[in-house]
Amino acid sequence: MGAIVWKDLLSELRSRDTVMSLFVLGVLVLVIFQFALNLTPTETRRLAPGMLWTAIVISSSLAIGRTLISEREAGCLGALVIAPIDRGSIFIAKLVVNLVLLSVFEITLLPVFALMSDVSILAVWPQLAVVMFAGTLGLAAVGTLFALAAAGTRARETMLPLIALPLEIPLVLAAVQCTEAVLAGASLTALGAWANLLFAFDALFVAVGWLAFEFVAVE
Amino acid sequence: MTQRLPVTIEKWSLWLFPAAATLLIPIAILGVFFWVPTDAGLGLSQRIFYFHVPCAMASFASYAAAGLCGIAYLRSSASEWDHASNAAVGTGMLFGSLVLITGSIWARTAWGTWWTWDARLTTFLILWLVFASYTILRALGRGNDMTPRYAAVLAIVGAMNIPLVMVATKLWRTIHPQVIGNPKGGIDDPRMLATLGLGMVAILSLCVWFWALRSRILRVEEKLAVLETSRP
Repeated sequence: MGAIVWKDLLSELRSRDTVMSLFVLGVLVLVIFQFALNLTPTETRRLAPGMLWTAIVISSSLAIGRTLISEREAGCLGALVIAPIDRGSIFIAKLVVNLVLLSVFEITLLPVFALMSDVSILAVWPQLAVVMFAGTLGLAAVGTLFALAAAGTRARETMLPLIALPLEIPLVLAAVQCTEAVLAGASLTALGAWANLLFAFDALFVAVGWLAFEFVAVE
Repeated sequence: MTQRLPVTIEKWSLWLFPAAATLLIPIAILGVFFWVPTDAGLGLSQRIFYFHVPCAMASFASYAAAGLCGIAYLRSSASEWDHASNAAVGTGMLFGSLVLITGSIWARTAWGTWWTWDARLTTFLILWLVFASYTILRALGRGNDMTPRYAAVLAIVGAMNIPLVMVATKLWRTIHPQVIGNPKGGIDDPRMLATLGLGMVAILSLCVWFWALRSRILRVEEKLAVLETSRP
């Protein structure tokens, strides 16, 4: 499992394709929101959590499948499948890779987001980090599970958002509510039911992905 | 024997449920328009409830069946279970769409708006969207041997949303009426209960009939595809 994670991260470190395209797409989405909605500074600060998560969800749904699709294109998926490891472990390895890539993307996006939206993130960074991690874990789990399904269709990468976005709606709802509360100064314990939904979603999709990958990772 | 189970159910369904639906649907319609009393609070618009609720039950049953057949397919790899799951999603989408349409019509009359982001409406829409993406996956993945497996996983994940939709009115503040299982304000007129029950049986019979037809069509299409590829 560690070898799969190291291989993918090393490949990304050399090319930096995925993180670069995620970052540029994320910034573009934030910029388009400003022009499309014609927001005042007050409205921007109020809508900032929603804009942030929209940028993250759209960028991740288009780029997250790369780690698995590139395996299939290079003919490596068959080798992974017949390797003497549990296929659930392949899912966890790919999940970790996607989680790291999305985390790097969000770390680079957050300063841009804070500048554009005029919100202060330094004062609340520990709580924000926890919420961002929890939301990202859910996105990575759904994307990793269905990336292969999307790759097998004629629409390829455009299929993944169609499958993943409806499933991710509860996660996005919870993440936006928690981010809004944290940016307003709430502590993690004050997040209540939305935080419970966020963590429950993560637990559910990591478990489902680990169990179901046995059936989808077949070459 | 297990892989013949959906085929056996389909055979029985193709004579039992058409008969039931043909008999019960006209009776249910007559009951709704001529027998059941008008609701004191909601007036005439409340009658759409006798179509809306049975369609909702039919869609839940279809989506749940799709998930269960998906599990059976992943365990057995028998195409009969895949066709059963695919057909169940089809009927789920049909009755789910009718739920959204009839609900919107009633909402316009009762709430003055075609749509609101109420918990019950939002969770049901999410359920519908998940299975809409299932339908697109099957259409765009035609020809790929792995598509049934991916679709089965998506159906199982989608079916897990059903309990969330059913308890949405209990978990969150909502303006959606809760008339079943509500000790404070549900329906208690025996004619209303009888008409609702009749409507449920009628619509569920129609749902199973459509499922059986669709499942048979999918099986025949698969056999046809095999024959065409083996033709010299």
